[in-house]
Amino acid sequence: MRKTKRISLSQMVLVLFLFFITLTMLVPLLNILAKSFSSPLESPKMGGLTIFPKGFDLINYTIVFNHPILVPALINSLIITLVGTIVNIILTTTAAYVLTREHLTLKRPIMVFLIIMMLFDPGLVPEYLVVQKLGLMGSKWSVILVTAVNVYYLVIMMRYFEKVPISIVEAATIDGANHIQMLTKIFYPLSKAGVATITMFYAVVRWNEYFRSGIYLTRKSTDTVLQVILRQFVVLGDTVSIIGQQNVFDYNVAARVDYNALKGATIIVAILPILVLYPFVLKFYAKDVFSGGIKE
Amino acid sequence: MDKDLVKEKKSYFQRIKAEKVLYLMLLPTLLYFVLFRVLPIANMRLAFFQFRSRGSWPFVGLKYFEMIFSSPGFKQILFNTLIISFMKYVLLFPAFVMFALMLNEVRSFRFRKYVQVISYLPHFLSWVVIAGIWISALSLSGGVNQIMAFFGIDAVDFMTDRNKIRWILMLCEAWRSMGWDSIIFYTAIIAISPSLYEAAEIDGASRIQIIKHIILPALVIPMITMFILNLGFFLNAGFDQVFNFSNHAVESTIDILDTYIYRIGIEGGQYSLATAVSLIKGVVGVLLVWSTHVFSKRLTGSGVW
Repeated sequence: MRKTKRISLSQMVLVLFLFFITLTMLVPLLNILAKSFSSPLESPKMGGLTIFPKGFDLINYTIVFNHPILVPALINSLIITLVGTIVNIILTTTAAYVLTREHLTLKRPIMVFLIIMMLFDPGLVPEYLVVQKLGLMGSKWSVILVTAVNVYYLVIMMRYFEKVPISIVEAATIDGANHIQMLTKIFYPLSKAGVATITMFYAVVRWNEYFRSGIYLTRKSTDTVLQVILRQFVVLGDTVSIIGQQNVFDYNVAARVDYNALKGATIIVAILPILVLYPFVLKFYAKDVFSGGIKE
Repeated sequence: MDKDLVKEKKSYFQRIKAEKVLYLMLLPTLLYFVLFRVLPIANMRLAFFQFRSRGSWPFVGLKYFEMIFSSPGFKQILFNTLIISFMKYVLLFPAFVMFALMLNEVRSFRFRKYVQVISYLPHFLSWVVIAGIWISALSLSGGVNQIMAFFGIDAVDFMTDRNKIRWILMLCEAWRSMGWDSIIFYTAIIAISPSLYEAAEIDGASRIQIIKHIILPALVIPMITMFILNLGFFLNAGFDQVFNFSNHAVESTIDILDTYIYRIGIEGGQYSLATAVSLIKGVVGVLLVWSTHVFSKRLTGSGVW
């Protein structure tokens, strides 16, 4: 339908414009990456548009990965993301399986209940008081359990499970499969893309979570997660909590460390897991996105 | 089917009993909603009571609602919430449609893919990281001021400029969501039947005419759906962004309902007052979503859910 091969002026303007938009996404990230790998003597002099490191140095990452607060925070983030996502997946897939069974007698009242739960946000303090009452303050279970099921993702999962052919389900029933076997041996393998998609989504949300962790995990400085420290350091500019730990600077580099580059290194560490997951998000969700267009 | 016939004969409770394993499987999820949704909703009664950590809460009627509506700060906060929502959800709205249209006009498949892969990425970054990136890029020595200096424009400290901060919120929202949120429009465009284009080409339609008469009509329903969905989020105004982009210099112009709830509730310990604001927000929010759902059903034949 588009026959002409020559590149028209309008096509060039369009491509340049879109290319500029992608630069606004790439340059700030590459700039932070470049500064974080640069020597602290060079990085303060680097502008905001440079994308290549000057005087390659790993000092910022050495500090991050030896830091008495950042290291536990990183480990906490990994634990919460891992355990939290597992909890999310188990609850969401079992619920989706049950709610997609044919002729389920209570399906309608349960769905109405879930939709009301999704729509009505009780707000911060009422939830805070419940977490307090359940004795979850300071425990990783607070953040893990408070966001155990997302109704949007449950509905996405149900759409995938609805596509499992009824004939296979019936055959398995005749063979005497119980519900757990049905879920793990038939529904998971036949809805791989769906399970993978919501796993990615849950994992991304878990890793990026900062707000509830900042409220519920405040007992000890080593209780918290990476995004909370990142917020203190980068957004609130609280260098004291990072720098006050004199024992970090055994190598006597305190005087020459560039805090902006150090912030950059922390940002890069916080982005890295997302970049690892991102190709999978595109791969599994792409099919869905390019045909169905479900918005999170 | 015989099975159905048998089912019909069973009573309601017998049927539920026969399905008990399924409900057992659903129990953890239901328990989650009861613990972390129903109990908090029950706690919302705090809006009418005075909080005490021990003993019962004394009833105070509408005291906290009167406090809210008589405080001069609340009007400003409500105004900020509405204006920021308006900028993000109404003013910015055409940009998402435009982005999908532009992407569709790109002829090179590989460049199109490149734009998609890069532009979807910011959606997956945490707001803390996004704030970190932009606080640095918009600082006096950051990339934006560097570009401005190249054109001879004086440096601006964007993040502490009260007149600019709302625009910064809007543009950073565009930066984060333009790619991802335009997916709904882009998929609607690529779902258009090629025969429509062929017919138009035979009739000698120009590209602009094709966009106007074939592509835009196909976007009407997703546009209404998106617009209505956004309306449901109007009282949120994007808490995470404001929370991470805010600082003392600009707080008064971008303080919204949710940041206010956080400040008075968690930082200030005024539990009842914060709950009262949450209750107003929750009720209005549900009314907004509900009415838009009904409206959408009338208009497009399909609701929000």
